[in-house]
Amino acid sequence: MTDNTPGADELIFTRVFDAPRDLVFRCMIEPGHLTHFWGPAGVSAPLDEITVDARPGGVFESVMVSDADGSEYRLRVIFDEVVEPERLAWTDPGSGMTTTSTFTDLGGGRTEVRIHQTRVPAPMRSPEAQAGFATSLDRFAAYLAALSGHEGGTS
Amino acid sequence: MSALDATFTALADPTRRAIVARLARGDATVNELAEPFDMSLPAVSKHLKVLERSGLISRSRHAQYRPCHLEREALDVAADWIEENRRIWAERFDKLDRHLRDIQRAAGPHEEEQAR
Repeated sequence: MTDNTPGADELIFTRVFDAPRDLVFRCMIEPGHLTHFWGPAGVSAPLDEITVDARPGGVFESVMVSDADGSEYRLRVIFDEVVEPERLAWTDPGSGMTTTSTFTDLGGGRTEVRIHQTRVPAPMRSPEAQAGFATSLDRFAAYLAALSGHEGGTS
Repeated sequence: MSALDATFTALADPTRRAIVARLARGDATVNELAEPFDMSLPAVSKHLKVLERSGLISRSRHAQYRPCHLEREALDVAADWIEENRRIWAERFDKLDRHLRDIQRAAGPHEEEQAR
């Protein structure tokens, strides 16, 4: 069963860290760690604004503050699954987007973290859609780029 | 449902993805679109309505055969969402990598305090 081909509505992102699995897992659920990395580049996640209730139904809330202009963005998701130290899953009730993080012990103090995000709520996705996701948006984008040359005047 | 959700929902169906792929080659009528599929015209029309609602395609109101047209910008928005999220995780994990190095160095077996 291979699910390495992301579909039109999903994202898979994998990274290997030189750290034991327990520690990497704790980094993802403890505010004291999250504050160091949760905001992407140019964005900070203040410690006193991070709430993590790591159990199914619990809330994970954080505020992202732009370093450039101080603008804020609040992130609030609900945990679906907390299986220490293997798996974390949460849903954004606003968008219906789910995020599943899988932690794999690679041995030698190395850990692989795999992030799987799906945009469309599961009940809205047909089995065929889930099976046939090989036609990704990336392919469409390449397709469109290749074809746009021919069609000068249609717009 | 946001516009982006509508886009992704529309693209979650393989027939609709095939229709989008066909329209990438140029505008087409409902009949032309139905041809490669073993599907009735009403069934194809149903898919086209979903695509139209999502903003992925538009249909001429005036021409007799109402050809369908792919709205490339809507497709770009969906591709951008994936790219944007990939970037966020990459940047987060760059920081996490540094953080893990820092705390492991601080708590390491050799007690290498980097006092300056």
